[in-house]
Amino acid sequence: MSAVPAPARAPAEAAAGARNVRRRRLRTALRHAILIGWSLVILFPIYWMIATSFKDSGEWVTWPPHWIPHQPTLKNYQQIFAPDTMKAGVAREATEQPFNVWGPLADSLLICTVSALVALLLGTFLAYSISRFNVGGRHFRHAILMIRMVPPIVLAIPLLMYYAIMIPLATETVLGARIVLFDTRLGVSAIYIATTLPFVIWMMLTFIDEVPYTLEHAARMMGAGRTYTLRRVVLPLVASGMVVTFLFVFILNWAEFLLALTLTHPDVVTLPVLLNKFQSASEGRLFGPQAAIGTIITIPVVVVGILIQKHLIKGFSFGTIRK
Amino acid sequence: MSEAQATGTVGVAPLGSPWHRLGAWLASERVFRLLPFIAVEAIFVLVIIIPFLLTVYISFLKWRANRPFEQAVLSGFENYVQVLTEPGFWTALGRTFYFAACAVTLELVIGFVLAMLVSRTVRGKGLYITILLVPMMIVPVVVGYNFTMLYIDSGPINQLIAPFVAPFGIDPRIRWLSHPVAAQWAVILADVWQWTSLTFLIFLSGFAALPKQLVNAARVMGASAWQIFWRVELPLLKPAIVIAVVIRSMEALKIFDPVVLLTAGGPGTSSQSIAFYLWEQVWVFNKFSFGAAASIILLFIFATLIFLGIYLLVRSSTAVARGVR
Repeated sequence: MSAVPAPARAPAEAAAGARNVRRRRLRTALRHAILIGWSLVILFPIYWMIATSFKDSGEWVTWPPHWIPHQPTLKNYQQIFAPDTMKAGVAREATEQPFNVWGPLADSLLICTVSALVALLLGTFLAYSISRFNVGGRHFRHAILMIRMVPPIVLAIPLLMYYAIMIPLATETVLGARIVLFDTRLGVSAIYIATTLPFVIWMMLTFIDEVPYTLEHAARMMGAGRTYTLRRVVLPLVASGMVVTFLFVFILNWAEFLLALTLTHPDVVTLPVLLNKFQSASEGRLFGPQAAIGTIITIPVVVVGILIQKHLIKGFSFGTIRK
Repeated sequence: MSEAQATGTVGVAPLGSPWHRLGAWLASERVFRLLPFIAVEAIFVLVIIIPFLLTVYISFLKWRANRPFEQAVLSGFENYVQVLTEPGFWTALGRTFYFAACAVTLELVIGFVLAMLVSRTVRGKGLYITILLVPMMIVPVVVGYNFTMLYIDSGPINQLIAPFVAPFGIDPRIRWLSHPVAAQWAVILADVWQWTSLTFLIFLSGFAALPKQLVNAARVMGASAWQIFWRVELPLLKPAIVIAVVIRSMEALKIFDPVVLLTAGGPGTSSQSIAFYLWEQVWVFNKFSFGAAASIILLFIFATLIFLGIYLLVRSSTAVARGVR
């Protein structure tokens, strides 16, 4: 294209330019329309749940449905947070059936925190060994992801038999005491640690690979020991990565349903299992309290997720943006 | 420089104390390298390998959970024959692949389009990314619950379609989850709603990593937007597409939570996924040795797919490395 357009062609070019501008505007508008449309698709089910959690029992299922609660109430939240509703005696109606969120909330928090911490600790050290010494061979990085790809149902059936039958039998013959891992927090935590370790290793590898080895080398040269170098040089540099990994693994455990449903029955209840308990039609669907539980499960995770979003994008790029 | 000297210079515990010696031993090259490896492998062996071997043993027994385990007798390959000749198993497996194919295709297409649109947006980009990534963070059980609320006969979906179906004399209060095909699509759509965010995320980082010089060079050389997309951007995005396909297919084949929450496998068995089918066989019908045999067969099927997936992943990631270099 010549630097100075011929004067005769100027009006035609101006018209083309205007057309281009108009077309670009139209395209931008269309783009925003599609994106806003999909955003609404995403936000609507979440809005509907939150709205339902503020509806009284009469409003849960009406025709036509109420898009905004006509009489907003906190009853559902009071019901799930009420301290031992069991004592209040027999519930008068199905909608006042006692179910309390405190126990499951404590179970979920305990199991998720402990298993995420243990997995993080072990995974970080292993990631360090893989990154620095190539422990386990060249393909160990990929091999370890395979565990993650095994469907949980294939793990759940063996684990149920293992926890409920084999460990009690083995401990009884060897130690003389029956140890049952079925329906214990320890049992659930153990399998959560095993299933999230691949993720921890994978994510921590991307962070540790970025720490220049020369830094460590310099520290070693100046007389620092292995543990000292690790503690004072490497760990501070990957600390933010560890926080992100911890939160990510915590969210994974928080959302896990199949294994928790399988390996616990009456005593230990995690939040997803609690939500499922009231899903069967025979109990009279308790949409309101369910929505309240759903909101309680969702809000903290979404807030944390948005906070670590930038790191999640990095962690999930699976090497596509590694330069 | 030996390890003992190195730790000695900064050691906290006094020299020669048992703690110091333990510390020095832990820090020695050999132990330090292998300790985390052994610990992690020990966990895998205890929690995954031993239960798996136990399952192999149980799969050769003739045993249901209502009888004591000690009295079970070996039955050879009876359970395997039973699983392989059981039509329910194959139907559920086929249906799982059908679910996965439908869901993953939709997720890929929608996620790709959204990522392309977002990557070309300037205003509000951060907000769009935040909103589009929200479904990924929502607990799948909650997603299942949310969608039951949308699909119930007096839910908002029926209200929205009411003006279109009412003139034909159809009651708009359709029970979606009571119809076999609609129930299957309810499960698929719930999965699409949730996991399009993941494909979107993968493609978004793919678009962000596109080398700008190549695209600009093509533009300067007079390529149209259409040509740039098909000839330059799409080939460069191939690794991201492979990653999205592999990861999403692997996850979609595990589908369980929305099935339980939305349809509980029903109506009848029409929306059972393989995970739900096995779960029901074991926990509802107590067919433990049947479940054990079925899960081993399933593991073989999945292992083949996993190896294929890993192979594709490794190949595409090395292709990226070569391309960048």
